[in-house]
Amino acid sequence: MAEKSVYEHLKSEGVSRREFLKACGVLVGAMGMNKLPPVADSNLPPHLARGAKVIYQVAEALENKPRVPVIWLEFQDCAGCSEALTRSQSPTLVDLVLKQISIEYHETLTAAAGHQTEANKQAIMEQYRGQYLLVVEGSIPLGADGAYCTVGGRSAEDILREAADGAAAIIATGNCAAFGGLPMANPNPTDAKGVMDILTDKTVVNIPGCPAIPEATTGTIAHFLVFGTLPELDDLNRPKTFYGVTVHDRCLRRPFYEAGKFAKSFDDEGAKKGWCLYKLGCKGPTTYNACASIKWDGGTSFPIQSGHPCLGCSEPGFWDGGGFYQGQSAPLQRPAIGAVGAATAVGVVVGAGMAAANKAQKKG
Amino acid sequence: MDWNAFLAFTRGPLFYASLLIFIAGMVYRLVQVAMLGWDKDQSVARGSKAGGVVKSFLKGILILPFIPWIKGAFQKRPIMYIAGGLFHLGLFTVIFLGTPHMLVWKSLLGFGWPTLALPFVDWLAVAAIIGMLVLIVYRRTDAVLRLLSGPAEYLNWLFVFLPMISGYIMTHHLFFRYEVAYSLHMLSVDWMLIWIPFSRISHFMFYFFSRTIRGVEWGKRAVTP
Amino acid sequence: MQAETAINLFVKKTGGWVASQLEACTRCGLCATACHYYEATGKPEFAPVWKVELLRRAYEQRFTLVGKAKVAMGIEKPISDDDIKEWSVYDFHGCSMCNKCSFVCPMGIDIASLIGAVRAGITAAGEAPAGLVKKTEVQLATGSPNGATREDYAAWFARTSKEMGKELPVDKKGAHTLLLLTNLEIAGFPNNLVAIAKILDAAKIDWTLSLEARDAFNMGTIIGNGKAMKQLADKVYNTAVDLGVKRVLVSCCGHGYTTLRDKLPNVMGKPLPFEVQHIAELMGVLVRDGKIKLQEGYFANGHTYTFHDSCKIQRAGGIMDEPRLVLRQLAGDSFHEMLPNRKEAICCGGGGGLRAIPEAYDIRMAAFGLKVDQIKKAGADTVVTTCSNCRLQFKEGFEHYKLDTQVTGLAELMSQAIVE
Ligand code: HEM
Ligand code: SF4
Ligand code: SF4
Ligand code: SF4
Repeated sequence: MAEKSVYEHLKSEGVSRREFLKACGVLVGAMGMNKLPPVADSNLPPHLARGAKVIYQVAEALENKPRVPVIWLEFQDCAGCSEALTRSQSPTLVDLVLKQISIEYHETLTAAAGHQTEANKQAIMEQYRGQYLLVVEGSIPLGADGAYCTVGGRSAEDILREAADGAAAIIATGNCAAFGGLPMANPNPTDAKGVMDILTDKTVVNIPGCPAIPEATTGTIAHFLVFGTLPELDDLNRPKTFYGVTVHDRCLRRPFYEAGKFAKSFDDEGAKKGWCLYKLGCKGPTTYNACASIKWDGGTSFPIQSGHPCLGCSEPGFWDGGGFYQGQSAPLQRPAIGAVGAATAVGVVVGAGMAAANKAQKKG
Repeated sequence: MDWNAFLAFTRGPLFYASLLIFIAGMVYRLVQVAMLGWDKDQSVARGSKAGGVVKSFLKGILILPFIPWIKGAFQKRPIMYIAGGLFHLGLFTVIFLGTPHMLVWKSLLGFGWPTLALPFVDWLAVAAIIGMLVLIVYRRTDAVLRLLSGPAEYLNWLFVFLPMISGYIMTHHLFFRYEVAYSLHMLSVDWMLIWIPFSRISHFMFYFFSRTIRGVEWGKRAVTP
Repeated sequence: MQAETAINLFVKKTGGWVASQLEACTRCGLCATACHYYEATGKPEFAPVWKVELLRRAYEQRFTLVGKAKVAMGIEKPISDDDIKEWSVYDFHGCSMCNKCSFVCPMGIDIASLIGAVRAGITAAGEAPAGLVKKTEVQLATGSPNGATREDYAAWFARTSKEMGKELPVDKKGAHTLLLLTNLEIAGFPNNLVAIAKILDAAKIDWTLSLEARDAFNMGTIIGNGKAMKQLADKVYNTAVDLGVKRVLVSCCGHGYTTLRDKLPNVMGKPLPFEVQHIAELMGVLVRDGKIKLQEGYFANGHTYTFHDSCKIQRAGGIMDEPRLVLRQLAGDSFHEMLPNRKEAICCGGGGGLRAIPEAYDIRMAAFGLKVDQIKKAGADTVVTTCSNCRLQFKEGFEHYKLDTQVTGLAELMSQAIVE
């Protein structure tokens, strides 16, 4: 069945041409592609031509390209990224990309269970070797020889390496898969790692977040489906479309930041007036993510809008990046009284020693 | 390079170490000087020494920075007063009344205070940066200042300038990604903390000695210090 | 070798008082604006802070980790014999110890005192200007830097007694006040004694002169030789104690006054059993308290007067209101202030022993140019001063600049206007 083109498959599912084009539009939006340069041969003025042209490009691709199978692995995760996807308020998009198009193996979503699924996965991996897309959710524990996370008696690392071997592209979704996430937080008892730290010889696209923004995940998958290539990445392997600017840069509370108006607690006057949450620990300034622009639940809101500071969940090590509610500029550790005392004592001893030696010089 | 990890390093362990070195170094400087021995002054005072000390500080804090033109020296070297004054004003505003910096103090001291609006702080940061640029040009061109300046003086300038300019770059998202600029800001701050105890930037501590001595010496003579 | 001697002295002089002030300097160079020698010559080496450079180097290199590191890395050189010779010019030819610079320093550093320490080191190393060394030797031998002896003073006292028609008290035990004169008066304006005697008598003060403690001048202070300073000051101390006086009154000498008042108690290690006062202060106090009545406007006679604040008596002595009180009564509206004045006044250029250094003549006169300027702006034809050294500098300076401006002493003016 996977030989059918995407459009053919959709047609057989009863999707009309009109609905198909609409879906293509959604995809274009999700991929952030309306920024492509205007196309010269269009008769329309450039500002109108832009989006339309791209939709047809996408439609054309989907009409001709075969469906790409997706294998979705979960390791030390909470399934939150999958949850976020399935409960996303952009059902067309998620349906389109995940359910309709090509998902072949997903522990949480697949109806089948047990050895049957595993066998199915093996078959798909055989059949589509070098063509399938691998999505990973959750971190991989290396401690205790991988005993902390096994599926069907095999360690996460093992499964990952096997699946990665025949994958055309690898996407790590969520902070756990991308950078190790919560399982890796100090003291990292399972010696958890992100995908990219294990598959050091492969390009892994990171869609970090806790959870990852569904539109970012699907948009990236869509990009691969449509163009067969990966989107442009930043130096942490995140698609620039979604991770190109900080939350702070697009934040709706930014004017209050500029004006120096800060909420000082979660229930003070400033909080009620929607002032900036910097003093409550907002990590927006160093957090590259699309929360402030795409938002959540179909653009309804995002944490900062609803009154909670950004935790920096799309950045490596955000669990250990200082207190969530401590201002971003505050040093990560406050020196212990003992350490300050010791430093002072060193100063006193050296200073007094020098002074004594110098006084002796004065006598001599 | 993972700049966020580097940032965590410069905000975390490196800052911690720099702060301890700063504390140890400043205490060393203080103790080394304070324990060199002080002679008791046996001469008879014409005026109040305590009053002299108060006046000495009032003059140092209120007159020299705010109404310097009442001093003859101002007319002869206005650049030093204006650029130097702007620099210090900007510096103090930025590091005490800028929100990010207040939060540093808050996390170290355990209490915070209200801060100023960013544009205001920003303008003073610009003033401080321009002040510093003027001062370095002045130091290179004026005969007296050239004579007085060795490598140490130029390095002092540089190591204070780096945090200023990197802070400004960071605030305005210029040239670098935010966390890169932030890392550079922190790196330069950390280095400055280590450098201060071994340089003349520590004049802010000895200022209290020299102004007190001045107050005592001239209060004793019943002359406004 | 010379350098070693100087450095050892610097080290000895460096306690917390010196060290903390050396540490406070930011090398801003503002003090240069204060110094009349820098202004007059434009040479950066005459910036006050540069005159302290040797002391700073000695302190850092001998006392601090950074200083030692700087020497080890070759960034800074240890003090050499040549340095001592070089700084002898800066600190002796180019500084009158007037301390104006410390009023300009934003850190409030007492720069002149630090320069004093440098001078001491240079002197110990044998590089003090020959003129000063000579005068010190002469004063230690004869009691006065110009060689005036006990006999010379006795003759002066006798002459003055004859002139006044009454015997001046000399070495009178139990007197309340011992009047201390200077050799400059014998040589330059002996009439000052008459004037002061009149004032003291009019105020009914029980006073005396002495042939033991004759000269307030102290070459030890000027050249920075602690031993000589103590030896000379001791003579005054012992005499005052022997005579049992309650007060030593300095007739005009500036540094002599501050030496006795501020330095001597610290050399002795205890407060003095008598008060030290300058005549400039006493005159004002007598007038203010009504002990002496003056004929108001006695000198409002077509002349215009201005008052020169001398560095030791006014700036460092704090006696700024008293002489003005007297002068205002005497001259009224014909008394004009120079600008800047009082503690910010510009030095006459002749203090700190400069008048005894022939090589410094040019720079001394160049600096006096600033004073000439001030006097012209004030529109005065007569300068009144309370310091003998300033007075001679003015005299010389006016001759040098070919001006017919006059200089006189406040006591001489006042003594003429006393209402019996
Ligand atoms: C632990 C020490 C410090 C931390 C954590 C810190 C952090 C920061 C942060 C977070 C900002 C704001 C950037 C923004 O608004 O996006 C900033 C700005 C700035 N910082 Fe610092 N800083 C520290 C010390 C210093 C020091 C010592 C100086 C000066 C010598 C300095 C100079 C500046 C300046 C000039 C700005 C720009 C202000 C403006 O243009 O509004 N900082 N710093
Ligand atoms: S709430 Fe956070 S992201 Fe928004 S402006 Fe304030 S600091 Fe920036
Ligand atoms: S004490 Fe007077 S003469 Fe000496 S350096 Fe200072 S201003 Fe110049
Ligand atoms: S004015 Fe004061 S701080 Fe500035 S160079 Fe002179 S002595 Fe140093």
